Amino acid sequence: MDKRKLEESFFKGVMLFSTFVVVGSLLTIIATIFIKGLPALDLNMLIQTPKGGYYLGKEGGILNAILGSIILGFGSVVLAFLVCVPIVFYINLYRKKKSRFAWLVRFVLDVLWGIPSIVYGAFGFTLMVFFGLRASLLAGIVTVGLLIIPIMARSMDEVLKTVPMELKEVPLALGSTRLETSKVVFRQALPGILTAVLIAFGRGISDAAAVLFTAGFTDYLPYSLFKPVATLPLSVFFQLGTPFPEVQERGYASAFVLTVLILVISILARVISGRFTKNIVK
Amino acid sequence: MEFKTHISVKNLNLWYGGQQALNDISIDIPDKKVTAIIGPSGCGKSTFLKSLNRLIDLQDDVKVNGQVLVDGENIYDPHVEITHLRKKIGLLFQRPQALPMSIYDNVAYGPRIHGTKHRKDLDGIVERYLKLSGLWDEVKDRLQGPASKLSIGQQQRLCLARSLAIEPEVILGDEPTSALDPISAEHIEQRFLELKKQYTIILVTHSLRQAQRLADYVIFFYLGNIVEHGPAAEFFRNPKDAKTQAYINGRFIEGRKADKELDLKGTVCPANFVKAKLALEGLDEGKVLRIIVDYEPAVSELPRAMEYEGHKVLEVKRLSATDWEIVIQRL
Ligand SMILES: Nc1ncnc2c1ncn2[C@@H]1O[C@H](COP(=O)(O)OP(=O)(O)O)[C@@H](O)[C@H]1O
Ligand SMILES: [Mg+2]
Repeated sequence: MDKRKLEESFFKGVMLFSTFVVVGSLLTIIATIFIKGLPALDLNMLIQTPKGGYYLGKEGGILNAILGSIILGFGSVVLAFLVCVPIVFYINLYRKKKSRFAWLVRFVLDVLWGIPSIVYGAFGFTLMVFFGLRASLLAGIVTVGLLIIPIMARSMDEVLKTVPMELKEVPLALGSTRLETSKVVFRQALPGILTAVLIAFGRGISDAAAVLFTAGFTDYLPYSLFKPVATLPLSVFFQLGTPFPEVQERGYASAFVLTVLILVISILARVISGRFTKNIVK
Repeated sequence: MEFKTHISVKNLNLWYGGQQALNDISIDIPDKKVTAIIGPSGCGKSTFLKSLNRLIDLQDDVKVNGQVLVDGENIYDPHVEITHLRKKIGLLFQRPQALPMSIYDNVAYGPRIHGTKHRKDLDGIVERYLKLSGLWDEVKDRLQGPASKLSIGQQQRLCLARSLAIEPEVILGDEPTSALDPISAEHIEQRFLELKKQYTIILVTHSLRQAQRLADYVIFFYLGNIVEHGPAAEFFRNPKDAKTQAYINGRFIEGRKADKELDLKGTVCPANFVKAKLALEGLDEGKVLRIIVDYEPAVSELPRAMEYEGHKVLEVKRLSATDWEIVIQRL
């Protein structure tokens, strides 16, 4: 075999191996959660709160964390959405393509995206101290909101960039304001925007470090914006941290619940966004 | 023949970055006539058209000076209400662009943003302008269906109805028939002939025959300059400038020939995107690629994808019953 062929097969081997590592680890993770978690999962876990002895292996469930995560995730997505939509539409419709300002905004968002979530947690904690707030649902929503803003904004930004120029020109040529034009572009980009929201939701709901100091943890169901709230990632963390094998198994079961939750919301969002694609211009 | 002036352009200069695209243009556009703008591609026809409704403002690094007087008012005056200006001027693109909504809502879009709210009024407007653009019979049973499902020819007529629905005084068309099948093109031409009684029509066209069929007044552009203009009969019978004569007699060598040809017949999207993208990237900046396709969705999707890649689409033209040519400049 000559040298070029050898080179070719070597690199092909490397690529195959890398693909194998990625797909393999994904499958292993899913299999681990499945095998270790599923046997411990029962209905009681989903509909009860921990009630004292749960972490020692007694009766109870993680409803506090399931509800807490959903509410916290929903709240932070709403908050982030309210911030992201104006930013993204501003840099895509009010600014020209080569705008320096738009470049700067994208750069800042990219930097923010790269900051580890524990730093957001610490920042959220500093804010809380400043405003005299205790660990609470509100503080958790704000911190996770900040964490997912760059993710949501940059994903939406990429979606809006693919909207054809003519689609922005037509409403303007008919005498629309930029705001009215934005509404048309919003319709066209809606499926992509929903996907961006979803990516952000998945990220927000599964982060432990950001909520550790800010949302706290509680065995009660969430009932007030100003009280601590339980979340699934921390619940998993606490359960896996106990010395009891049966509680650790429940930890895997909780991880399984978290994964399924994200999956269900993904599918739901796809179905909903499918309804809106009818009029999309291809 | 005496013409009343509707739009008066005075010493209009326009630059893209450092590059001058319009050179001291001064011209009076007659009221309620069809004015045809002809000239080789890249000579500034589209740029000129977009400077008449200030859509040019959206481009990066454009600089404009001079005056465009519409009904005596300079549209580049900072006090001009741009939404009012654009309401007076309808625009048809080379490639029809439906809005992501139903056929009904496409036509009702303009009237709605300009304040018509009642369903009954809107119903009347939609019916009237779809009839005027010759689309009503084909779509009256599916007004709530998506506009994007119409054929290209139908979409262009929808775009015409949508432009007419804002009750403009002027209609601009940037080669509005060149991507269409002959029957749809004929439809649009017929509409223009009827509409010129009420509207001032400015039509950029690549087809001299179309200009001869439709135009009352003709302007010949070359390299950002107006070389010659005059009443159509006179212009075609007795062109004065040597360049005009050459252009009219078909002896004109286009200023910018394609640097590369790419035949994408028999390929579909998105495979042809990739081929076109690679071919463009193989060219030097500013060079021109000519692509032939025979897959209808590619006619609008391929140019769009290449624009997204940052290239400039110069032209989309129907060549025969099955083939289109797309001319793209690498930027
Ligand atoms: N957005 C733009 N940025 C830079 N140059 C442009 C842009 N649009 C057009 N041009 C250049 O301006 C000239 C005139 O273009 P255009 O008005 O599209 O010509 P035509 O419509 O007559 O074919 C061409 O040389 C073209 O390359
Ligand atoms: Mg043009």
